[in-house]
Amino acid sequence: MTAADRQRAAADQLAGLQADREALADRILQPWWYDVALGLLLFGFLASYAFDSPWVTVPAFVLFAAGLGALVAAYRRITGVWIGTPTRAMVLWGGIVLVVLVPALVLAEAYDQRWAMVVAGAVLGVTVGVLSRVWMRAYVAELRSPR
Amino acid sequence: MTAVAPHFDAVIHPSPRLQICGLLAAVDTMEFATVRDRVDVSDSVLSKHVKQLEEAGYVKVSKATVASRQRTSLSLTKEGRRAFDAHVAELRRIAGL
Repeated sequence: MTAADRQRAAADQLAGLQADREALADRILQPWWYDVALGLLLFGFLASYAFDSPWVTVPAFVLFAAGLGALVAAYRRITGVWIGTPTRAMVLWGGIVLVVLVPALVLAEAYDQRWAMVVAGAVLGVTVGVLSRVWMRAYVAELRSPR
Repeated sequence: MTAVAPHFDAVIHPSPRLQICGLLAAVDTMEFATVRDRVDVSDSVLSKHVKQLEEAGYVKVSKATVASRQRTSLSLTKEGRRAFDAHVAELRRIAGL
């Protein structure tokens, strides 16, 4: 095999790898209802604190956990893959949760302003849905761009 | 992608195994059936390649029972990712990219 043959073979293999990444990009974007359901589940759980009753909060948590499990299972079944959240996205999400949730908890617990948890749930529910979609679209674009 | 030293890897080099590693490098885990469909080989051929990658410490095979059906998923180990990145760097060097 000549050097030119080796060069062509290597270029072909790299092109094959890129084709696979692009094919993967076509299948990993979650359906729209995934992000909506994720946001609604988080909203439901956080807003349940407004009732100030474990009879509401505990079932809401169980529903939240079961719903998350069902979403993960559905995503894996639909796409055949699982992609973890990158560290930078988790740090950003953790920061947003702290900024929104701490004041809401203070208002709810120290000042008995329970409605604050409904607002926090709405804000974080919308944010998690949007971030989920934005992050996955960014990853799809990364897969489509030449490595 | 972090720059890695180019290194030819004989375990990864055969076309199906390179393709398997390429698919797994882009995700955390991938179902066995999804890999099989993309690589376009039979279950037994894929199993043979996966076994070789597993013996080299490059691929981890996980089995789980979901709704009374056994599902097998594959993932690259850290060592597998390092070896794959180094092999791709070597391909890029050979291709002059």
